[in-house]
Amino acid sequence: MYSIEIQELTKIYSPGNPSKEVKALNKLNLNIPQGTIFGLLGPNGAGKTTLIKILLGITYQTSGSVKLLGVEDSYQIKSRIGYLPESHKFPLYLTGEEVLNFYGRLSGCDSKAIPGKIDELLAMMDLTKWRKTKVKKYSKGMMQRLGLAQALMNDPDLIFLDEPTDGVDPIGRKEIRDILLNLKDQNKTIFINSHLLSEVELMSDRAGILNKGNLLRECSIAELTTNNEEYVIHVDRALEQILSQTLIDEFKVKKSVEGVYSAFVTETQNINDLVDAIRNNQITLKEISLKKKSLEDVFISIIQDAEKEGAK
Amino acid sequence: MKNIWLITLYTLREAFSRKVFIAFFVVVVLALVGFGIFGSLVKVDTLLKGLEGADKQAALNQIVYRIELMLISPVYGLGLLLAIFASSSFIPVMLEKGNIDLLLSKPISRTQLLLGKYFGGILVVFINISILIVGIWLIIFLKFSIISFPFLFAIFTITFSFAVLYALIVLSGVISGNSMLGMMLSYMIYLIISPLLASRSIIFQFIQSDFWQKIITFFYYILPKTSEIDKLTSGLVMNQTITNFQPVYSSFLFLVVVLSLSIYIFEKKDF
Ligand SMILES: Nc1ncnc2c1ncn2[C@@H]1O[C@H](COP(=O)(O)OP(=O)(O)O)[C@@H](O)[C@H]1O
Ligand SMILES: [Mg+2]
Repeated sequence: MYSIEIQELTKIYSPGNPSKEVKALNKLNLNIPQGTIFGLLGPNGAGKTTLIKILLGITYQTSGSVKLLGVEDSYQIKSRIGYLPESHKFPLYLTGEEVLNFYGRLSGCDSKAIPGKIDELLAMMDLTKWRKTKVKKYSKGMMQRLGLAQALMNDPDLIFLDEPTDGVDPIGRKEIRDILLNLKDQNKTIFINSHLLSEVELMSDRAGILNKGNLLRECSIAELTTNNEEYVIHVDRALEQILSQTLIDEFKVKKSVEGVYSAFVTETQNINDLVDAIRNNQITLKEISLKKKSLEDVFISIIQDAEKEGAK
Repeated sequence: MKNIWLITLYTLREAFSRKVFIAFFVVVVLALVGFGIFGSLVKVDTLLKGLEGADKQAALNQIVYRIELMLISPVYGLGLLLAIFASSSFIPVMLEKGNIDLLLSKPISRTQLLLGKYFGGILVVFINISILIVGIWLIIFLKFSIISFPFLFAIFTITFSFAVLYALIVLSGVISGNSMLGMMLSYMIYLIISPLLASRSIIFQFIQSDFWQKIITFFYYILPKTSEIDKLTSGLVMNQTITNFQPVYSSFLFLVVVLSLSIYIFEKKDF
């Protein structure tokens, strides 16, 4: 059962106006199973916000189709959705609890359940003592937590968070992470947009990488970081002069400094092939180690590869 | 319905959180107090000395109507200008990034959202005008023991004038996303175009071309007739019978068309 199904989704802003036309999403396909925390990564302007807005009917797609919770018309199931927009604005004349009351009522919450829910969420977000304070006095971090509380008022099954930890301090981030992990245990689906890779790495099960409207990769976090491993090889001779060119190309062997080389191994390859070749050539293998790649390295290399492809 | 009412209610709150409405309210209260004091100083009997019976009553009514008119004219002059100024930001504020996204993600249709804002603006003005007019009416009743119900109808005609212009403000807000356009168009219609078109018979003395006369007449019929509705209000205050309701019907038609157009555009828009 998928919570989000996206098919061939394309969005062009200002179509037909050559100076302003922007292709924000390009034939995007993506399915997200129920109960997943999905992190959509991408640099600014990649189209992440546009994607969420189309899913929620805030912006209209140019072509393609989307389904949320198995339904095509998002209007019907909006009461089961929570959303924290990027840099949200609340009516500044309201207090924290009034904000929750207003959006809770708009979300179609049962009016009897609202006061209890407000107490619960304010406590969860550590905002209880600010509940009667006007939100114009709130700090960025408090606004963000209130925004999250707002998104949870209606006990949603599907939650969209656009840059949720923006402007939140590290402790606040940890708290938000814990809250989200707790929600995941309740089998809720959470879709997070972020340009903060470490956040996504810590919270998500699966991730997608979006660049210029193209979904470059979509897989589990584990797959993202283990694929395409980089090895650091210390040897006593110049590999590039001894090994065959095919082998060097195959493993993308590159000299870092004298006697130190890097090599890349994809799923279909085996590092032993390279090691065997080194030993067969009487080269002393002093040290070989797997360089643990952070998500950031993967992210940057995926984006760079895509840019190169695009340039060709 | 519940959704529309919710937005209407919070538009009201938004309005009262703003200084301009508080200012408006203070002006109203001051005007009422001032009028109360002034009224208590006037000696009606000395004014009407020498008149007896029916004559006296008729003269008293005339005095009261004129006082009412004198008090109410600034309301639909200044009051409406202030109301236009204050309400022109409702839609642009709603359309701000970060605000509209959140609203549209809720189970409320775009039509409901816009109608909620529309009725909210009208309700704000209705409440303010009601307080003023009912206040004046009460003081007159206490002072002269005269009950003139037509005077109370001015609440509706003034609110109606505003409702027509506010539809234009909503449309401009939806299209441009800022408050300037709507404000300028409303002021232009209210202060210049409507009074000019209402007295087009005078203009026709200078423009004899049949073609241009037709054009002007055309615009007269399609644009809001706020100036004539004001005259109608004065007529009500003076207790005259109103025979020509054409300005009301045609302005209402304008309201419906402009509001429908706003909804249509708003429904299609990307945010
Ligand atoms: N309302 C809009 N009108 C025109 N272009 C837009 C609009 N919103 C976004 N864009 C463009 O679409 C692209 C993707 O934007 P966005 O979805 O906000 O990216 P992200 O959230 O990944 O930073 C950008 O090039 C942006 O300039
Ligand atoms: Mg964004």
